[in-house]
Amino acid sequence: MAILVTDKTKVLIQGITGKEGSKVALQMKNYNTKVLAGVTPGKGGQEVHGVPVYNTIAEALENHPGINTSFIAVPNFAAYGAMEEAINNKIPLINVLTEHIPIQDTAKAIAMVKAHSSPSLRDHEVAKQSSNSSNEIATGRTKWYIPRNDIKIVGPSSIGIISPGIGKVGSIGGDDPRGVFSKGSVGIISKSGGMASEVSWILTKNGIGQSTVIGIGGDILVGSTFADLMEEFEKDEQTKAVVLFGEIGGTYEEEAAELIKKGGFSKKVVAFVSGLFAETLPQGTKLGHAGAIVYGEKGSYKSKINSLKEAGVTIAKTPDEIPDLLSNL
Amino acid sequence: MLLYEFEGKKLFKSCGINVPESQLITYPDELDSSLTLRMTGGVVLKAQTLSGKRADAGGIIRAEKQIEIQEKLVEIFSKKINGEKVEKVLVEEMVEVEKEYYLSFSYSTETRSPVMTFGEGGTGAEGKGAQSYPVDILAMSHLRGEEMRLHLGGGILPEELMETALKLWEVFTKYDCELAEINPLVVVKGNPSTRSARSGQNYIMALDAKIILDDDADFRRGEKFPERNLFGRASTEREIEARKIDQGDHRGTAGSVYWDLDGDIAVLAAGGGGSVVNMDALIAYGGKPANYTEHSGNPPREKLKRLTKILLSKPGLKGLWIVGGTANFTDIYETLMGFVEGLREVEPKPTYPIVIRRGGPRDKEAFEALKEIGKKEGFDFHIYGRETPMTSTAKIIVDLVYGKH
Repeated sequence: MAILVTDKTKVLIQGITGKEGSKVALQMKNYNTKVLAGVTPGKGGQEVHGVPVYNTIAEALENHPGINTSFIAVPNFAAYGAMEEAINNKIPLINVLTEHIPIQDTAKAIAMVKAHSSPSLRDHEVAKQSSNSSNEIATGRTKWYIPRNDIKIVGPSSIGIISPGIGKVGSIGGDDPRGVFSKGSVGIISKSGGMASEVSWILTKNGIGQSTVIGIGGDILVGSTFADLMEEFEKDEQTKAVVLFGEIGGTYEEEAAELIKKGGFSKKVVAFVSGLFAETLPQGTKLGHAGAIVYGEKGSYKSKINSLKEAGVTIAKTPDEIPDLLSNL
Repeated sequence: MLLYEFEGKKLFKSCGINVPESQLITYPDELDSSLTLRMTGGVVLKAQTLSGKRADAGGIIRAEKQIEIQEKLVEIFSKKINGEKVEKVLVEEMVEVEKEYYLSFSYSTETRSPVMTFGEGGTGAEGKGAQSYPVDILAMSHLRGEEMRLHLGGGILPEELMETALKLWEVFTKYDCELAEINPLVVVKGNPSTRSARSGQNYIMALDAKIILDDDADFRRGEKFPERNLFGRASTEREIEARKIDQGDHRGTAGSVYWDLDGDIAVLAAGGGGSVVNMDALIAYGGKPANYTEHSGNPPREKLKRLTKILLSKPGLKGLWIVGGTANFTDIYETLMGFVEGLREVEPKPTYPIVIRRGGPRDKEAFEALKEIGKKEGFDFHIYGRETPMTSTAKIIVDLVYGKH
């Protein structure tokens, strides 16, 4: 059934009149993804590739209550406002393409999602009254009760999410994902957008299809981590194994290992970690992704490889080994 | 961007955090003795360098007596601290320390939030049992006064540090920091001879400042700081030129990250993630990279042209490796034609092997054109598409450059 992007996915694009927004709108439509509406403040009433544009999300939801996914492609200075608006309108899945968002803004958006997700006292009372209304939020009509974890941000700096053969959100796969991605049983979670496609291509070339491929972005703080999405893959029947593409910096690879050790993920995991080269440079040197930065021992290549190995994860030394390591599925 | 101590202390002062009296000097003879004469407790000379462990490397010298200061200044200016030339020295009053603490704000990938890290004891405290506490960034933005104070430090911080913690939080958020650290944060006894207001009372003071600014927030930060380099050397001309390519042009990036390295294989890598994967592979096969650079996000032709010219201006190159994964939306034809335009202008004409491995939109068109150009214009192109594993071309360039083993 794939995760995050399914046949029920109905997309809103924030920043649809911009260069990236309009380009990706067309790409998604061409890949049979339902793009219902776009939002750009001040440009309501226009159309982009046949998709109606509204001034606000609230307006878009009024006209298209089925929207359950927002794709954000606005400039970095406007990204916090866009994420805040999507969260306040309780869009369950928010995929953020925008790069170079100040970390403080990302931290606030993540905190807002958390505040919405863990039931407060008020939420508890409402929950009692409407215990089986969990789908209502998708319509945007129910203003104030959100079941736990029902808003998910993927990104910032995310290349997108694709469930091959079903649909895609974001620029993953570009104009024509068909040659690179193929439907199957391996889930891929990658910090790098380019490597999400490269790994998918390597699998496809070897006859291994993918259930869902997700670029989580290489920022220091991300809305969804490896572990968050592994929990989704665990529940997904189509997915038999998961490939993690990690890199030095941060603790998300260690968190994934922790999840496996605690029994939260039972399927086969193959991981690749890049960045050994970066450790030969002075500490704090910036290259590649913002999150790929090491201070002290934390986030080092060794720490990640060791904890993943301890959790029983198979480590690929090059991306091209991955198909062999998955072969006994 | 990592700030120098004196820059960090300026930001501290602007938010009301106490710092010692000081003078920043660039040449030993700039010292204003009327100022140091008031520092009756002696002075500390602190080399303004970016590397850690500055004290262990001899970057901090005490001068108890006035007559020693000039001589020790000359000494510290002649030093290299972890390879870094001393260009500025902070001359600071010595204070009598009663107690030392460690206090910082940063972002944690474990809690995915800001964290306050606090410990008793100063230098080296990060390793000595300092603990991190998540901070609710939303609560902090709407709470005021006493509530805010308690939210931040209640049950964690000693009462005497509460005010400083609030001020450091202000520094952290107002200036968009990735890290705002005071180590050591000290309690000093009031010094009646220099500051009557402090007499009798304990006084909280930041003796050092370590701030890392979030470069992504540069657009909204009023304070600007000059470029600096973590390699302990001045930026090379190529590094400076490469970083100019993206300025004022947000269409993709090329050259914003560019480091000259010691090797002889030039690398023009694509993608923030793939570039690092490929560097790992190149080194694993025994290749010596001449640089690290990357381009991504579909940069226009002109950017690749400029980057190619800068990259190949390096003397002593034995090969060029152009490598990237399967691009999602970078136009391979445009970027590779930009490369060719740059290549044509390189003097002397490169005759070394050029290995190209790319995949993505318009790649076939690009390869056709490249084959033609290579034949006609006499470039030693070795072209590989997406059917050839990306990292396996590391071995190809290494074998071509150094000969097969």
